[in-house]
Amino acid sequence: MTNIIDLSIREKVYKKKKTQLSILNNFKLEVKAGEKIAIVGESGVGKSSLLNIIGLLDTDYSGEYTLFGSLTDNLHASELAQWRNQKVGFVLQESALIDSLTIEENIKLPLFYAGTEKNFFEPEYFENVINAIEIKSILKKKPLECSGGEKSRAVFARGIIMKPQIILSDEPTASLDVENRERIINLLFKMNEEFKTTIITVTHDLEVANRHDKVVHLERSK
Amino acid sequence: MRRSLFRFVDRFELCITYLFCFSLNLIFDYVKSLSVDSYILKAFLENFMNYQTLINFLFTFIVVVFHYQMLHRKKTEIYCRILVGDTILNITIRYTLECLMILGFVYLLSIAINIYLNFNLISNLYLVCIFVIYILISAVRVGKYETF
Amino acid sequence: MKLFEFFITKIFLRKVIFSIAMILLFFMANYTIFTATRLILSTFQGYQEVKSMNQEGTYIANLNPDSNIDMDAIAENGTQKVYDYLNNNFKYAFYTDGFIASLPNNDDMEISFSYMNEEYYKLNQFELSQGTDLNFDYQFNKDKEIPVLVGKGLSKTYPMGSTIKIELPVLEQSMTLKVQGVLKQNAYHSNFHALNSKNYYNFSVFLPVNQEFITHANIDLQLNGLMDIIILQTTKEKVTNLSEIMQDNLGLKFNFFSQKENFDYFNEYYLHSLKIMSIITLILVVIIICHSVWNALVSIRLMLKDFTINLLVGLSYSKLRKILYSYFGILFSINLIVIFFITAYSRYGSWLRKDAAFVTYGLFGLIGMDWFALLVVFLFDIIFGMIIVEIMLRKIKKIPISLGVLQ
Repeated sequence: MTNIIDLSIREKVYKKKKTQLSILNNFKLEVKAGEKIAIVGESGVGKSSLLNIIGLLDTDYSGEYTLFGSLTDNLHASELAQWRNQKVGFVLQESALIDSLTIEENIKLPLFYAGTEKNFFEPEYFENVINAIEIKSILKKKPLECSGGEKSRAVFARGIIMKPQIILSDEPTASLDVENRERIINLLFKMNEEFKTTIITVTHDLEVANRHDKVVHLERSK
Repeated sequence: MRRSLFRFVDRFELCITYLFCFSLNLIFDYVKSLSVDSYILKAFLENFMNYQTLINFLFTFIVVVFHYQMLHRKKTEIYCRILVGDTILNITIRYTLECLMILGFVYLLSIAINIYLNFNLISNLYLVCIFVIYILISAVRVGKYETF
Repeated sequence: MKLFEFFITKIFLRKVIFSIAMILLFFMANYTIFTATRLILSTFQGYQEVKSMNQEGTYIANLNPDSNIDMDAIAENGTQKVYDYLNNNFKYAFYTDGFIASLPNNDDMEISFSYMNEEYYKLNQFELSQGTDLNFDYQFNKDKEIPVLVGKGLSKTYPMGSTIKIELPVLEQSMTLKVQGVLKQNAYHSNFHALNSKNYYNFSVFLPVNQEFITHANIDLQLNGLMDIIILQTTKEKVTNLSEIMQDNLGLKFNFFSQKENFDYFNEYYLHSLKIMSIITLILVVIIICHSVWNALVSIRLMLKDFTINLLVGLSYSKLRKILYSYFGILFSINLIVIFFITAYSRYGSWLRKDAAFVTYGLFGLIGMDWFALLVVFLFDIIFGMIIVEIMLRKIKKIPISLGVLQ
């Protein structure tokens, strides 16, 4: 099976006024379609930075990145945006919601950018997702009126609404109780089973990490 | 000032906005005091002079913008301060006093310039009243962020 | 469109204070530019009018600013003596206006009569929408009717070929006037001593005057005609003599300036004034742009999360650029419409006040000068919009999406 992610980073540098921090030195990652990868490591090693690079949010690094067989360097900013919309789903922390929109509007936000040539919105699929993660009752509420668990589930729903080929999740269970944690993890894996979605999860939770096919340990650059 | 919601940049921005409004009023007074010979210039300046108060008032809206964005940005800070033992009343009082202090400082500066240029000292007073009203309205809004 | 609507209703209007601030700032900038452009344009039009008269050998009279007019001290034969001297020695263009007469008309306007001789009429080459040019060879008190031109506003009440019976105050006798032509709409006359101000002829009657007419006219017409009299094809020496004759007979000191002196005056006075005005406008506009940029950047601080979450789920920077341009396009359009209505109302105000000298015709009452100034404002707004949108985009791009999302 061919790789859908072929990433080779020589260096990612964060510059501040007087200091500079180099992370992900000579890092390589190959991911096949349908794989479940967990990324673990201590704080500050670059787990979230790696996720941003994989998710096409960050292009400011030295190295090569081939996604779905295309070199991302050759992609225009609008193509990157289109891929983020249709091929990659982000499941971030609970605060990643727009406070002025209702939960339903937040979940359906990616549909705005999906274009008109294809109808991405499948009411049945939307219903299934809403029912599976039990957020029907909060659809008309604003994020500020919801609990942490409800917001996490809404972020999850937004991440999978486009049936992306890759789901990138950053600490998706960090602020959840055991019941909600299980629910989110099971949903992620169900996506993997049903649609062969590739899952890449950044987590501190080793129990969650071990349920993935591969665990990538990131270490601080020397 | 560790308890203040204001950082240097906030104080600087507020000073600049007040200073701008007072300066605008001062420039109007200054132009009025000039004996402009040119008929064209007179005709041009009259387009503004006739609406001095209205123009000044419209420009004070930038102070409203400052208060609005300042409080919006400080939502989390207000919430966190309350979490660690501060009270909304104390935060509101400190915020109001600091705004008034900055206003007072800039007003004194404008008075000094008015004295230097021999202009009417109370010509700026209506602006002070408007700004005090803005401060009081924004102080009421501080209370809204008590529960985040 | 759906996306744009979403951004307007769910993001921009949620923090409506910034939109209001932007509209106010843009309004100030647009109003300043609009006012300055109209003033410059009006001065330029006045300059063009004077330029057509300001030729080699032409001298325009200008009452010395130190002179005091004492009507009682000026005898009618004094002014007549001056005209006799003028008739014998010079070719001159005579013009005077502002003589109000009660002439019934559909719009209840006070009608202004303008008197001019053939030389002045030839110099100005007034355009007519109907009829033929004025005839100056009539026999005063012998011909039954004097041919006149009327402004567009009067042409409804007094169409071509109609006659007007009126007691002319300047002759203190009743006359019959025959409408021989209708002036083109918005024909105007600039004040030679304040080129930016002008009177419109839409509710005026042009009366041709010849030597006989002037002789029979009262002192008001005779004296007013001398105030702006234009001496043609002459020399400095000859007009100096004329000035002395005028002083002897009227007790008033008149200056006659040559073409070069008039140009020098224009450069010194008008150009200087226009330069200062342009500098003031520029400073005001720069200050307003700085404020608008500050306002835009401050709004980004508060809307950053909204922007970046949209970027996260598929919004591209090019789409965001389009949205921002459209948003500012709407704000600018609101301002242009407001300025348009203010101008239309101000033009309409002349109709309400029955201020015949300022009444104009045009689409919604706006004349060419107003449309041109609106066009300049529109062009300025494009530049203004580009500056602000590009600065906003640069700011948004500088902040990593991942950071903005978790703001």
